[in-house]
Amino acid sequence: MNNIIVKAERLTKVYNKGVGGDVFALRDVSLEIHKGELIAIMGASGSGKSTLMNILGCLDKPTEGSLFFEEKEVSKLGDKELASVRNKKIGFVFQSFNLLARTSALENVELPLIYSDKVNVTKLAKDALNLVGLADRVHHHPGELSGGQQQRVAIARALVNDPDIIFADEPTGNLDTKSSYEIITLFQKLNKEGRTIVLVTHELDIAEHAKRIIKVSDGRIVSDELNNSPRNAETELNKLVKEVKNEN
Amino acid sequence: MRTKRILKNAFKNLWKFKLRSFLMMIGIVIGIIALTVIVSVGFGAKGLVMERVKKFGLESLMVTAGGGVQISQMGSTGQLTATLKLDDAEFLKREIPAIKEIAPFNRKGNADVKYFEKATTTTLLGITPSYASVWDWDVTEGEFITDEDMAALNRICLLGPTVQKELFGEKDPIGEQINIGNIQFEVKGILQSKGTSPGGGDMDNRIMIPLSTFMRRVANVDYLAAIKILLHDSKEMNTTVENINSILRERHNISTGVPDDFTIITPTEVTKMAEKISGTFNLFLALLAGISLITGGVVVANIMSISVNERKKEIGLRKAVGANSKDIMRQFLFEALAVTFTGGIIGIILGGVGAKLLGVIMQMPISVSWESILVGVVSSSIIGIIAGIQPAKRAAKLQPIEALK
Repeated sequence: MNNIIVKAERLTKVYNKGVGGDVFALRDVSLEIHKGELIAIMGASGSGKSTLMNILGCLDKPTEGSLFFEEKEVSKLGDKELASVRNKKIGFVFQSFNLLARTSALENVELPLIYSDKVNVTKLAKDALNLVGLADRVHHHPGELSGGQQQRVAIARALVNDPDIIFADEPTGNLDTKSSYEIITLFQKLNKEGRTIVLVTHELDIAEHAKRIIKVSDGRIVSDELNNSPRNAETELNKLVKEVKNEN
Repeated sequence: MRTKRILKNAFKNLWKFKLRSFLMMIGIVIGIIALTVIVSVGFGAKGLVMERVKKFGLESLMVTAGGGVQISQMGSTGQLTATLKLDDAEFLKREIPAIKEIAPFNRKGNADVKYFEKATTTTLLGITPSYASVWDWDVTEGEFITDEDMAALNRICLLGPTVQKELFGEKDPIGEQINIGNIQFEVKGILQSKGTSPGGGDMDNRIMIPLSTFMRRVANVDYLAAIKILLHDSKEMNTTVENINSILRERHNISTGVPDDFTIITPTEVTKMAEKISGTFNLFLALLAGISLITGGVVVANIMSISVNERKKEIGLRKAVGANSKDIMRQFLFEALAVTFTGGIIGIILGGVGAKLLGVIMQMPISVSWESILVGVVSSSIIGIIAGIQPAKRAAKLQPIEALK
């Protein structure tokens, strides 16, 4: 059991919407995430998949139920301990990238390191950018980068503190097909290197790249299955590049 | 290490978002400019008044008709006590060797003056030739009133610059005939400008005529309003006051226990008045400063609050990547401090320059009060910091995902 990173027990999230009554974003959700997994959480918009991921990633709190991060109960952590967990153990990738404007790729990636005890901040950030293939874009600002490149900066930021788990909320939601495959290729490569990755998507063909697919509907988990034959994004990317070339 | 990195990051942020930083700063700048200018002008005006009050002179004292007259009531045009006579003045001069010079005078407020179609209202003073030296008040054109004028009850007058402008404009008034009431006077001289009196009256809106002419031809009275007395030495002040007191009581047949029918005003009284004026002024200045600070504070609070609210998302992101609430507070506190401090300095510089310019343009004295400016900078900084920190605190308390929305 030592390889469990996150354990959720009967998570419920209720939004108080006043006139319309309470809205249940999550009902009674329990699950475990093990080290080395590549999980896709799938569902239509409004299904509660993002809420689930935000709670698993310690960015939000459940109304009821408990969440254990590496056997520690998250609700019992103080502000500083929780911040430290977010800083050292978790990397988060957002659909809208959430990069700081007018700030270079390097400085964006350095951001989590500001709040850590690490010393060689610039070197670590450069290594992370190198890992996502942006070694030549270090001093570019978000405005000077394509969507795919911006998302890779965001991934580098998520990686820089060498977290135990990476959460990605619709990481390809704002990207074209080619960039999407590039990002998924990157995630598959990172997973192969031993990193645990959870990504949320509403697209089946993205989810099919994961090794485990959890389907969420109406705030409940409706299926949680292992995917024995995940698609390989790199192969598809190469195929796509070839097709484009042939068309030209 | 961590704090240093956070501060460095905050400073970079301020530099990157120059417009935003500038807008945050501008409230402080405007507040401090307003404060500096208002207070400098106010203190300048106060200084001017104090200087005038001091001009009364340490060797001077004044005997006014009527008992228990307050210095602030001097020059009012109410009914005068009719017991202070010209003989009293001459007797004092003769009997008390400490007295160097006397200037007995009488006055009439709201005298109607006419020069052909032009008419105005002014204060009419009946004076003696000694008035010039005792009050240090000479003519700039023409001649002062002489002993011959006094002896012959001459109908000549000296005009204050305000009256001169009202009646003659640019024309040379010397030798012209004007009507004071129904009596015709010849203009003999133009008085030196004395500006505003400590009480706020226009000291240039005056006409002076010989005291004898005033008493016999104009007002038809045999008493004085006051006598200003100049001593040889200010050390003789106390004994002289006692002497004057006993002489006048005797001459006026005032029995023991009955109050004086005159009042002696000494430089001590004048200093007291100056202090009273100064107190009023300080209160007024404090009020003005307070208003400009509150205005500045409200502007700063608003801009800070808007700016921080705009950055809710940034706060959410910073929390998501591992900043704790204290880290966020530290960053915003530093930013607010840097902005308000810089704004304060810019405000002082611009305000100082503005006050000096205003002084030159409007020909007003300017006196920069560093204490009040310091108070201004400190208090608006506190306002700015509180205003900047409060919304940051609120945002820092949110779940990161709430702030990111």
